[in-house]
Amino acid sequence: MFAGYDFDVIQRSWVYLFRDGMTFTLTLTALAMVGGIFFGTLLAMMRLSRFSILSYAAGGYVNLMRSLPLVLVIFWFFFLVPYIGAWLIGAKDPVKVGSFMSCLITFTMFEAAYYCEIMRAGIQSVARGQVWAGYALGLNYWLTMGKIVLPQAFRNMLPVLLTQTVILFQDTSLVYVISATDFLGAAAKVANRDYRLVEMYTFVAAVYFIISFSLSLLVKQLQSRIAIIR
Amino acid sequence: MISIKNISKWYGSFQVLTDCSTEVKKGEVVVVCGPSGSGKSTIIKCVNALEPFQKGEINVDGISVGDPKTDLPKLRSRIGMVFQNFELFPHLSVTENLTLAQIKVLGRTPDAARDKGLKLLDRVGLMAHKDKFPGQLSGGQQQRVAIARALSMDPIAMLFDEPTSALDPEMINEVLDVMVQLAQEGMTMMVVTHEMGFAKRVAHRVIFMDAGKIIEDCTKDDFFGAPRSERAQLFLSKILHH
Amino acid sequence: MNYNWEWGIYLAAEPGGTGIYIKYLVIGLGWTLATALAAWVIALAIGLVVGTLRTTPHKWVVRLGNAYVEVFRNVPLIVQMFLWFFVVPELLPKALGDWVKQMAPPWGSYLPAVMCLGLYTSVRVAEQVKAGIGSLPRGQGMAGTALGLTLGQNYRFVQLPQALRIVLPPLTSEFMNVIKNSSVALTIGLLELTGRARAMQEFSFKVFEAFAAATVIYLLTNLVVVFAMRALEKKVQVPGLISASPTAGAH
Repeated sequence: MFAGYDFDVIQRSWVYLFRDGMTFTLTLTALAMVGGIFFGTLLAMMRLSRFSILSYAAGGYVNLMRSLPLVLVIFWFFFLVPYIGAWLIGAKDPVKVGSFMSCLITFTMFEAAYYCEIMRAGIQSVARGQVWAGYALGLNYWLTMGKIVLPQAFRNMLPVLLTQTVILFQDTSLVYVISATDFLGAAAKVANRDYRLVEMYTFVAAVYFIISFSLSLLVKQLQSRIAIIR
Repeated sequence: MISIKNISKWYGSFQVLTDCSTEVKKGEVVVVCGPSGSGKSTIIKCVNALEPFQKGEINVDGISVGDPKTDLPKLRSRIGMVFQNFELFPHLSVTENLTLAQIKVLGRTPDAARDKGLKLLDRVGLMAHKDKFPGQLSGGQQQRVAIARALSMDPIAMLFDEPTSALDPEMINEVLDVMVQLAQEGMTMMVVTHEMGFAKRVAHRVIFMDAGKIIEDCTKDDFFGAPRSERAQLFLSKILHH
Repeated sequence: MNYNWEWGIYLAAEPGGTGIYIKYLVIGLGWTLATALAAWVIALAIGLVVGTLRTTPHKWVVRLGNAYVEVFRNVPLIVQMFLWFFVVPELLPKALGDWVKQMAPPWGSYLPAVMCLGLYTSVRVAEQVKAGIGSLPRGQGMAGTALGLTLGQNYRFVQLPQALRIVLPPLTSEFMNVIKNSSVALTIGLLELTGRARAMQEFSFKVFEAFAAATVIYLLTNLVVVFAMRALEKKVQVPGLISASPTAGAH
């Protein structure tokens, strides 16, 4: 089937693909996961807050993000972040933001909406009495959340959080639309330079498949381990 | 110590408490009983503001619970509470359950908190289980740890919300024994329970509630001797015969 | 922050000569919906079959179904888009491949985009269908068997009609996902809504006007879909049939 194709192109370029491209992809995934879970948890706490302004604001943000295509959100942030930066530091002109930084902000803010819904379910999965017990011991809101509710919510939701991270890992390939050099972007550059699109994209698909598939197997294993402990 | 004055509470338009008043003096043991849905669990949760109330006033040791300016965490740290479903923190070991609030709220050092916690754990007879997780203990053991956890904060009063309702019959006594001992040492206690045997042994006063109202509030002897209201008589005849 | 917002840009003519920008974007929405709907038909058809097969007692059928799901679930959508656009025509018999490659725009992008989104989404539909059938009480299948129904009849008349009602709400959100995901087709040159917003931004340099318009159009589309699906859910509702999973209330 692949007679006449030149798979040498992969051998010639794999150092570039992995050292530049995959490093970008994995770093972006890891940092956006940490940031996304952090902001997602804050958003979830806001959504469940008894102050209706907070809960409406968080709910509106989450629903907005979840209604829009990621590609559009990537464009939004790509053009918006320089203006926000200028506004934050009080500069007159939009500031220059590197493509990695722009991607990181985009994915953190976008995935936060999805992590928020997971954490909201997690917080709600912790029995009401646990909160009462925390308060009854004199713990304040932040201590009750931080020491009692969130640890249990995280534990209950760990498999779902990790599954969302596998999705995030795949989603990062969309940074192609702003010409960032992630794994796919690097492969596309080589493919177009050497005109080896078939070989390159087949290889890229295989690599993504192997990584995603192994990660989801790990998550499944973790899930059954947790199920036993409970 | 605890004074409740004309408390009313609504869930939406549904009134769960109607004009309830009573008082618990220092060293007094008061048992609150009544059919389910009578508001007895709600009123005890109002005492440390786990449930808000819309009308009336509750004072604990002279501090108003409903006042928005009151430092609730500080107030709550001085009132121990034991819950129907134990509510030990399942992700923390028994020792950590005992020390968390001592360290974070009272500012005790980890060592001091640990000494205090283990002393109380020993007192409820569970020293051997100090490193276990709540999920590895029986219901009765969990509830004894929960009592030790509340005591570790050196409370000025203890609230018990149906502490034995979730327990298998054979475990009820191990928890009641701890509570009786506590009462005999002079702890101020407000106890929501169906265990009339406990009430007979150590209660000074019994409060009977029905449909969100306090129907009877009298000494133990008066309550068991000759309850005035028909509803209390009916309740007693049901509960004592099973 | 200083940015000159210009409302007038929406009524300015786009350089392609098809009319004003608003019209240009609305046509984009048309392509978004045309792509999403065609892909949705494929996704439903395949998803229903694969999802059902994965609940049959035949071990090898289940394994095959699982393999299908894993393949399409673990490769990013944009990579699958490239495979359909760049790779598949090369692997087809030469005459067919050339015909695909020479299709006039936008069909040359539309066809691969629909195939790609259709198969990508079919996997997610299959997951929902499988979960739906799995959530039925075991007695339902047994009752069908006890009545003498064949395996096929059992699915067709007993299990699927119930399961599909259960999975209707999650399928709604999958349909919204297809609409959103169709924006990835801009990477293979399909000028759907996001692609046109991007083009408008490049032609007019009015970044935020362009993306704000697309955002509003997406939000309105979402609202319409939600209301339409709610109406559908009401229509197929069976009195007394519990649509939530039976775990609710268990402790």
